[in-house]
Amino acid sequence: MAGIFDKVKDTLNSYRTPGYFKKLDHKWTMVVDLDMCNGCGACVAGCYAENNLPVVGKEDCGKSRAFSWLRIERYVDGEYPDVKVKFIPVMCQHCMKAPCEIGCPVYATYHNQDGLNVQVYNRCVGTFTCATYCTYDVRRFNWFSYKWPKPLDQQLNPDVTVREMGVMEKCTFCIQRITAAKDKAKDEGRGVKDGEVLPACCQSCPTNALVFGDLQDPESRVAKMVNNPRKYRLLEELNTDPSVIYLKRVMNDGKSEE
Amino acid sequence: MDILGLFKHADTMLDAAKRLESAGYAFTVFSPVPLVHEIDHAFGERKSYIKYFTFFGGLSGFFTGTLLALGTAALYVLPRGGRPIFFITPTLIISYETTILFGVGITLLSFFLFAGLPSFKKDVPSPEAAIDSFGLLVDDIREDEFVKLEKILKESGADEVKRVEEE
Amino acid sequence: MANQKSSVGIRGMEIKTLPKHDQSHISYREINEDILRFMTQTGPGYYIVLGALFLLTILLYALPWAYQIYTGQGVTGLNVPVFWGVYLVNFVFWVGVAHAGTLISAMLYITETPWRRAIARGAETMTLFALVIVTFFVFIHMGRPWNFYWSFPYPNTRQLWTSFQSPLMFDVFAIGTYFTSSVIFLYFGMIPDLASLRQSSTGWRKSLYRVMSLGWRGTDRQWHMHGKACMFFSSFIMPLVVSVHSIVSWDFALSVVPGYSKTVFAPYFVTGALLSGFAGVLLMLTVIRWFFPIMKKYVTAYHFDRIGIIILVLSLTWSYCTLMEVVTGLYANTSQELEHLKFKLLTPPYSYLFVLMIFSNTLVPLSLMIRKIRSCEIGMFFICIFVLIGMWLERYLIVPNSLSRKFLPWMWHDYFPSWVEVSITVGAVCFFIFMFMAFIKIFPVVSLFEVKEDAGIPMKKGH
Repeated sequence: MAGIFDKVKDTLNSYRTPGYFKKLDHKWTMVVDLDMCNGCGACVAGCYAENNLPVVGKEDCGKSRAFSWLRIERYVDGEYPDVKVKFIPVMCQHCMKAPCEIGCPVYATYHNQDGLNVQVYNRCVGTFTCATYCTYDVRRFNWFSYKWPKPLDQQLNPDVTVREMGVMEKCTFCIQRITAAKDKAKDEGRGVKDGEVLPACCQSCPTNALVFGDLQDPESRVAKMVNNPRKYRLLEELNTDPSVIYLKRVMNDGKSEE
Repeated sequence: MDILGLFKHADTMLDAAKRLESAGYAFTVFSPVPLVHEIDHAFGERKSYIKYFTFFGGLSGFFTGTLLALGTAALYVLPRGGRPIFFITPTLIISYETTILFGVGITLLSFFLFAGLPSFKKDVPSPEAAIDSFGLLVDDIREDEFVKLEKILKESGADEVKRVEEE
Repeated sequence: MANQKSSVGIRGMEIKTLPKHDQSHISYREINEDILRFMTQTGPGYYIVLGALFLLTILLYALPWAYQIYTGQGVTGLNVPVFWGVYLVNFVFWVGVAHAGTLISAMLYITETPWRRAIARGAETMTLFALVIVTFFVFIHMGRPWNFYWSFPYPNTRQLWTSFQSPLMFDVFAIGTYFTSSVIFLYFGMIPDLASLRQSSTGWRKSLYRVMSLGWRGTDRQWHMHGKACMFFSSFIMPLVVSVHSIVSWDFALSVVPGYSKTVFAPYFVTGALLSGFAGVLLMLTVIRWFFPIMKKYVTAYHFDRIGIIILVLSLTWSYCTLMEVVTGLYANTSQELEHLKFKLLTPPYSYLFVLMIFSNTLVPLSLMIRKIRSCEIGMFFICIFVLIGMWLERYLIVPNSLSRKFLPWMWHDYFPSWVEVSITVGAVCFFIFMFMAFIKIFPVVSLFEVKEDAGIPMKKGH
């Protein structure tokens, strides 16, 4: 009798711990080395192609409705001859304490066992709360039903859905590739190896500025990179605990800047 | 057969009611406005049981809300925003609202129960009693009592005494 | 007769005292006849206005919404950082307008304030229809409004209930409870009146009242239960009024966005709601008095005086909260807060809107200190209009404006409502007036039995 009681108490206590899951299966992490990023935008193009992102055209881009799940923010410092331009690729940070997740009334966005912030399109009713609460402005909304012109509909990725009008979406860390890698590893009876999962942005980056991996695996590249003193996370002071880790760019004058 | 006395003034009606009471008749007061304080004053406080219903309605609402919120959390263990699965503060907000919702609903039902609504069998004995007169109705009297009752009512100042036939 | 003023002369000077609330000159039968005449004697002007409003509702509200559902939310002016626009502004605004109704009927019932009786029903009606508008605005602002029922907890084939930790779910419960309670409160108070009106009305009206009065006979026992239940409803609705708008404010305050994440929001929103609500009630009373002179007998200068004072007090409280909202932002002194305040207070056109808001919510109501203005119908009418516009602007300056300046400067983007949003906003007002106008001709907008109580219970010997 006492045993059952203790078990119930333990279960309840484990439920009370934030996040519930004491240990995640994986903790997918992306490391962005800003020293290597030259702002070419290949990652953005790769993301568009992989995730069936509609291209909305000039007019809607002007209204700030571009669909880039991953964007390269450019900040220009100084006046013309003495100009410093900084790039920072910003995608969904997959926060461990995501502000967007508590906003959703229908469980359309939640945290899964892989430490990913997932968006379930079918559950979404479009209350915009997640996007409003998001501190990185990375969520994108299907303002219209987007159509692909005739030959282009043939290049849609069959592994990714085409989202309906009125649904919120965002960077998934290419969850279809993660799932495929996990399935393959499971079939072969082993764990997922480092470098086996390669999101489209990392794949297309010419300078390898974007590195993806499992932070829980001590042998992975990301786990080694996060010990870098240049490490920082975007808007860390907001206590969102992001999974994307940036490595500061070291400028010519020896100063490192965000 | 019923007898109905119609009064233009509330105090004369209450006088008549007192005399009827001392004569040993049961009566019903009809009024277009609530006379609760006046009747309480004349005949003593009456009991109302609505408060118990309201209390248990509110209490059941509180538990329903808590059960709904925590039960959903237990059934769908979906961690969100690093918050605990059993998160007490938002649960209290939900149960706060359901307390009010259930409290109001049960109060309405108990009001219907105690006020005998809805019932379309009996009508107001006289239209005036719903507009501008105070009515005093004595149910099921015999023919020989009528004159006596009419006298009591008239003496206390009834403006009109009516014979109401059973339908 | 309406505003009986007694004059007292002191040393040859005449001092006008406050208008008194004295309705004892009205007889019970007169009340019944007046209200019935108010409902049944309808001129062609009423039908023309009603028809015009219906047409406007269709043109400005229903059709643009249908177009929006068909085409997508893209027809609005929303963009990537600004996901909450005019629809949410309207949502908060109309919840605010709804607030005064229940407060007048509930709080003033508990305190047994006599002058509430004549206006409580009208105010409750406003609450109900304002909540209808609110509910529609929730659906209008959704991306997939055809799935709106997914936000209710019920056993479903999706095998999923709703998340009770979401501030929006609080909203569903708060507004659901508020809606249910106001319907119950309104209908419950109307039962004796319908029974009374049933005696003197004819035709479909009689049969409708017969069914809806549920066989109310007005026995002492029924009145006793009615009074008790009404007290419980009032005591439940009082905290509900406060909780509903604080929950609405938590939609914003529970985020981390600068300009949203403010602890002052719950009292700020409740005060603002009551301010706009009382202004709405007063506006409604003024208009009703203009178009139906019969109402001047029931809605007197005394009401204007009292509500005028309430609006003055609420406006001062609101001004304090506004000051605190800005000051706490300045004291926080983080770059995001400063950027947000700079955008809100110093960037045209929002700086002009801010000045207009302060003008219409703080400065204009200050004139209510003068008794002459409180008793001046036209003056009160314009003050109410100003307050309503100011309160709408307050929500506009909070909801889309804070989102325009979020954390990452690259994504900063301004917001301007599209024609669809403007049209639906205007159409909602038409829809509201249409519903209200239709209601007041079908159901008594003045509580008969309460006004009778107001006129005093007839006693031969006196009290």
